[in-house]
Amino acid sequence: MSTPSRKRLMRDFKRLQHDPPAGISGAPQDNNIMLWNAVIFGPDDTPWDGGTFKLTLQFTEDYPNKPPTVRFVSKMFHPNIYADGSICLDILQNQWSPIYDVAAILTSIQSLLCDPNPNSPANSEAARMYSENRREYNRRVREIVEQSWTAE
Amino acid sequence: MDAEAGGEEERPRDDEILAFHNQIRAADAEKLEFVGDKEPLSVLAAEYASGSPVFKAKVEKLGQTYVAIRRARGDGNCFFRSFMFSYLEHLLVTQDEVEVARVERSIEECKKTLIDLGHAEFTFEDFLVIFVEQLQSVIQGRETSISLETLIERCRDQYVSNYVVMFFRFVTSGEIRRRTDFFEPFILGMSGMNVVQFCRSAVEPMGEESDHVHITALSDALGVPVRVVYLDRSGDTDDKPAEVNHHDFIPVGSPQTTVDPFVVLLYRPGHYDILYTKQE
Repeated sequence: MSTPSRKRLMRDFKRLQHDPPAGISGAPQDNNIMLWNAVIFGPDDTPWDGGTFKLTLQFTEDYPNKPPTVRFVSKMFHPNIYADGSICLDILQNQWSPIYDVAAILTSIQSLLCDPNPNSPANSEAARMYSENRREYNRRVREIVEQSWTAE
Repeated sequence: MDAEAGGEEERPRDDEILAFHNQIRAADAEKLEFVGDKEPLSVLAAEYASGSPVFKAKVEKLGQTYVAIRRARGDGNCFFRSFMFSYLEHLLVTQDEVEVARVERSIEECKKTLIDLGHAEFTFEDFLVIFVEQLQSVIQGRETSISLETLIERCRDQYVSNYVVMFFRFVTSGEIRRRTDFFEPFILGMSGMNVVQFCRSAVEPMGEESDHVHITALSDALGVPVRVVYLDRSGDTDDKPAEVNHHDFIPVGSPQTTVDPFVVLLYRPGHYDILYTKQE
């Protein structure tokens, strides 16, 4: 069935195929336009460099009026990412606007990796380490990067 | 250490707090339609009957110029919602096809602005199309023409109403960012944010309240003058009669500086409703 949200998601997909932002890829699952798999590559020249982080995006018929539920499938260590992979990011919650498409969502998550918001910690250990012991924090991030290559 | 970890378990997550907050807000908002019925101005007098003398005096003063009020739901979109209804109703009543053609040219400019700012057309075109459909349907004598009753229904319909509000938010954000140099001093002084942060947090999300920056930007971008009548505590002194202030937002480059705006809104701190002017 072709609803406004499904039609919009097809256009999101076309844009991501033809004009993908650097370090990002995403596509709907074979038989379900409402559920997407995506990969964010860790930005170059940062501790995240080389990481390939998998996510899922679950959309509802309210998209683009409501944001998708976005979750990391790969194990993460980041001040704003919960243990279950869900993400504490304003544009995915109270600051959502239909002005964002899937490319913009994934780009925002990518920049969150290197630019955490210490004021809304989802992982208090990562948040504490980020502000108090950056060397140890970076070491933990490197571990996560290595795990991202092998984990299923 | 354990106690601390336990404490974290207890605390609801940000998204849970937010969901709860939204739930309260939604329940509260649904007591009123997105746009209410047209009510005589006397309902305001009743509202302030036991209120402060300055409000009472101002409400009486309002009655000299205005006859009726139509309330908008207090869901943070009340300025955009009031503007939508007031503007479309004016076009329906006056059948001003010249104005419809003029605003359609302004919409084309808004579209160019958004594309120049890097937005993919598909992110805003559904919202734009819904607004243009409403503009065309208020002109009578066409297959798609609608009555005032239908216009009211549509402005109360979640889909149509929210899509038009969202289109206005796109237009407002685009105009502010296109004229960063003009808007930045106001925005910095008011919020301490830069233009991009302001648009991202105070313009683009649904439910974020509007103030003079939003009104200026929307009025300029669409070329539609707006009058805002202020019902507040200003001039609260015993020795002079209360004056009701208003401010006219006249679009930049508009030739109609001497014309009274036909979109007239009543502002009470934190909220906008629609006002109806007395006809001669």
